[in-house]
Amino acid sequence: MTTRTLKPWLFLMPALVIYLTVIFVPSIYTFFLSFFRWNGVTPDKEFVGLGNYTDLIMNDTVFARALRNNLLWTIGSLTLIMGFGLILALMLNKKLKGRIVFRGIFYFPYVLSGIIVATGWTWIYNPTQGFVNKALELLGLESWKHAWLAEPKTALYAVFVAALWQGIGQPMVLFLAGLQTIPQDPYEAAYIDGAKPHQSFWYITLPLLRETFVIVIATTLIASMKVYDIIYGMTGGGPAESTQVLSSWMYNQTFKFANIGTGSAISFFLVMISMIVIIPYVYYTTKKSHV
Amino acid sequence: MKKWILLLTGVLLVSIIAAGCSSGNNSGTVNNASPSADNTQNGGAKVNISLWVLNTGWEWLPEAVRDFEQTNPNISVEVTKYEVDPIKEALKVAASSKTLPDMWFTWGGSLGSFYAENGMTMDLTQVAADHKWSEIYNQTAIDMSTYDGKVSGIPIHLNVLGMWYPKNVYQKLNLQAPATFAEFESQLQTLKDNNITPLAFGSKGGWHTMRLTEQLLEHFAGPELHDKLNSLDASWNDPAVVKAFGKIKEYTDKGYFPMGYSSLDPSEAESLIYQEAAGIINEGTWFDGTIITNGFNPKDFDVFKFPNDQTPSRASVFAEMFQINAETEAAKQEAAIKFGEYLTSTDVINKYVEDYGSPAALEFNISDTTPHLKPLLDSAGDGGFLITDQALPQEVAQKLFEAQDKVALDEWTPQQAAEGMDKAVTAYKSKQK
Repeated sequence: MTTRTLKPWLFLMPALVIYLTVIFVPSIYTFFLSFFRWNGVTPDKEFVGLGNYTDLIMNDTVFARALRNNLLWTIGSLTLIMGFGLILALMLNKKLKGRIVFRGIFYFPYVLSGIIVATGWTWIYNPTQGFVNKALELLGLESWKHAWLAEPKTALYAVFVAALWQGIGQPMVLFLAGLQTIPQDPYEAAYIDGAKPHQSFWYITLPLLRETFVIVIATTLIASMKVYDIIYGMTGGGPAESTQVLSSWMYNQTFKFANIGTGSAISFFLVMISMIVIIPYVYYTTKKSHV
Repeated sequence: MKKWILLLTGVLLVSIIAAGCSSGNNSGTVNNASPSADNTQNGGAKVNISLWVLNTGWEWLPEAVRDFEQTNPNISVEVTKYEVDPIKEALKVAASSKTLPDMWFTWGGSLGSFYAENGMTMDLTQVAADHKWSEIYNQTAIDMSTYDGKVSGIPIHLNVLGMWYPKNVYQKLNLQAPATFAEFESQLQTLKDNNITPLAFGSKGGWHTMRLTEQLLEHFAGPELHDKLNSLDASWNDPAVVKAFGKIKEYTDKGYFPMGYSSLDPSEAESLIYQEAAGIINEGTWFDGTIITNGFNPKDFDVFKFPNDQTPSRASVFAEMFQINAETEAAKQEAAIKFGEYLTSTDVINKYVEDYGSPAALEFNISDTTPHLKPLLDSAGDGGFLITDQALPQEVAQKLFEAQDKVALDEWTPQQAAEGMDKAVTAYKSKQK
């Protein structure tokens, strides 16, 4: 092996060692635990093979609900949070008066803790004293008043609106950074050739943002898979477990019920789902970009 | 090579998710051990004990620790405070990694039993006998700190639940504390007819509704069957359980609860009581302190025992205790016992009685600012049953919360709720075999 080959590995080594010991090895251990029935403290673990996985799929109705909610959350994040983030970035990339202030305003919720956002939005949705129902009352739309967080049909979406408000700042900032790396020349050339604004967007802006999209999609996907705090704060997974997601159900199984094996199995469902999406995506986009 | 790097990148990204899924630790550490104390410890003469307690309700603790350290210069105490769910999580993590503190706060029932039944708590049976705990603490609190015949905790609090109401509301409507279940139900309707929400329940987390469900079970099932249901010795698919769930459904349909109560935070529901927009809230011996903290006067409120029409009429009770690490060294165990007994002593209770909560000790002064403490404790004189979320295994309790919500939301009939509970109990029992 030549020095040229070894050099990058040497530079990578400290981070790699930390990563392997702190994240990779515990992840493998979690996978190992998912084949056992164990309460976390007794010396004996009972080997149950795929029992925890089949039990989750066949008997646990909350798990099925949580899985569905995670998928809905992911779709919502990849479309709405990312879409609105891009729209805001495009607007705030123009030479508008006060755009710096607006960038700060839209980014601000992202730096807040999820629990703070949850507390605030819980009061906004309060059925009798909250802003949403009071506003509807003032607008003469009393029939629209609703217990937003108490109806299984609306609870998850109501929480998602709060998450959208909080999360939009992050893709906006990343897209803004990406937009500012695009030179003006292609736009000017396109303008001379008679391209309309939407054509410039489709054929210049979007292709040149490909590398930003890799980061934004990966981070949005990760955030949507591990969503927990805002749901915990706003509904606690209720009503009737209708807003449970995989992370919150994993928390319940592991820390409330002391079912370490089941909790580990849920975490590996999360990992497997993420792998199915992320690995082909990273592979595909990396082939076409400079990342 | 490129493919391997790509694969590695993917795996690392996924690992981030797995790592991110582990929950944070919302704790704040207050180290009451002074620097000089540490120096002394280095000399080998000092014992340093670690204690994990709740954040809320323990505002008096730092001063008590300072007093203790002054009178016991050879012992220093390091206190770490947690919120309710984080302390449960932190203790479970610490238990599985053998890093439990020297002593910790916990609730009784199925929450405290986890550590005792897995041999992680010191057996205090002999200490309790030698130190005559039966003359110091309420026997119910000692019993609730005892697992498999072994005393496994130093009792701190004995909480009793009751139905609290604003006196103004009851006076305006010429109502008296109800003596029978029929009278209670009639009052709910009277409150509703007068545009007052009868029951200020916020059932996010399930507790508020559970406190009503358990009294409905006591009413319909009677003490014997209720106890058997809680110990999983009787089937939950029972007519009494169906009737109890039926009442939850009936009260929901009649609008006895606040709008959207199943996802309402208890504190949001509580605000309705202060505004006198609601008639009754199901809280415990700690509620005088809560009223004061929220800037109101406890004397404007009163409390009655839920009229479950049973003889004896039992109240819902639960205990809180300090457990001591079975693995920690003997000197630390001795110091922890000394410290635990000090914190639960009459002198300390009397000094902080307004903030202390509901003591497990037999002797203490009643403060004027907590006028409902004694009546509530007395109301348990006829007997008590352990509060349901501590009586049931945690995953069965979680199913009860789900069943309550599903009945209220019309997703399950009361019969289906009873069957759902029975199924959860069967699944739990089959796992324990």
